Amino acid sequence: MEMADANQYLRLQIGGVSYLLPSGSGYTIEQRENLITNKSPEGNVAAWQSLRSSRLPAYCLDAMLRVTRHHNWQRAVFLEAMPHAVGLAVDEVQLLPRADTVITPFTPLGNIPTRLGHLFSGAWVKGNRLMLVFDPKAIVSYLQNLGDA
Amino acid sequence: MKKPRAGPRLHSLEVPLDGSTLLVPSAAVAEVINPQSVAPVPFSQPWLNGVIGWRTLAVQVISFESLLGATPTAPTATGKIVIFYPLGGRKDWEFFAMYATAEPRPQLLDGSQPVAEGSELPDSPYIAAGLKVDGRLMLIPDLEEMKKVFYPV
Repeated sequence: MEMADANQYLRLQIGGVSYLLPSGSGYTIEQRENLITNKSPEGNVAAWQSLRSSRLPAYCLDAMLRVTRHHNWQRAVFLEAMPHAVGLAVDEVQLLPRADTVITPFTPLGNIPTRLGHLFSGAWVKGNRLMLVFDPKAIVSYLQNLGDA
Repeated sequence: MKKPRAGPRLHSLEVPLDGSTLLVPSAAVAEVINPQSVAPVPFSQPWLNGVIGWRTLAVQVISFESLLGATPTAPTATGKIVIFYPLGGRKDWEFFAMYATAEPRPQLLDGSQPVAEGSELPDSPYIAAGLKVDGRLMLIPDLEEMKKVFYPV
């Protein structure tokens, strides 16, 4: 049985539900006040991080990871990716202690929902509590496919 | 209706669903537990209700009614979650579960139970056969077909 993972995990609370992200996948956390909010109701982007020659999109998702717009988020986690990082607005973010996170294998049953593959590659289980673990490549691809506008 | 001769006895469990009853080998069932919080799995199949923590594992809970094309039902206070051992050839952590509308009951089959006619069975690839036990239709799931839909190549 494949079990433990030596990486630390970030707990991302999105729409009231917590998901885990392997911290080894590379990320930066930005405060909302440092981002430029998308004031237009159109488009999928909630805010941008402005860089010298470009801007990085951040998306606001609901608990089922569908694009939404709300103003309850305080930070965005930007995941390292090519050609540029992509951001995910979160209600809360917390780096979990290494000893607290033993990850059990998990692959959703059924067809892979998109060409990006399954969004989850593991789960954290403690008693009846459970959090799904993002597959970093898949969640980045999912966010990238939401577009830059 | 064919009535086979009595033969070796098989310990089975009658799993009550919403509108039908499944009959599964007792050896396929790891545990029957009370309903608990189910975490949804975004972008999952309509027949997948979600995932629960069981022991140290993440166990996915399916709606067999949905596999049969019916509307999935919400778990009831008297319902149970039936946890199945991994299907043949799958990894040892791939337990799965389904809701039952009531506590499953043991059934001792001896081969004398009449086999249901095809016309009595739902038109579904996930049903292998049916038996009439005490006059009641019990559906035998096709585990190989379930494996195909759970783990598509």
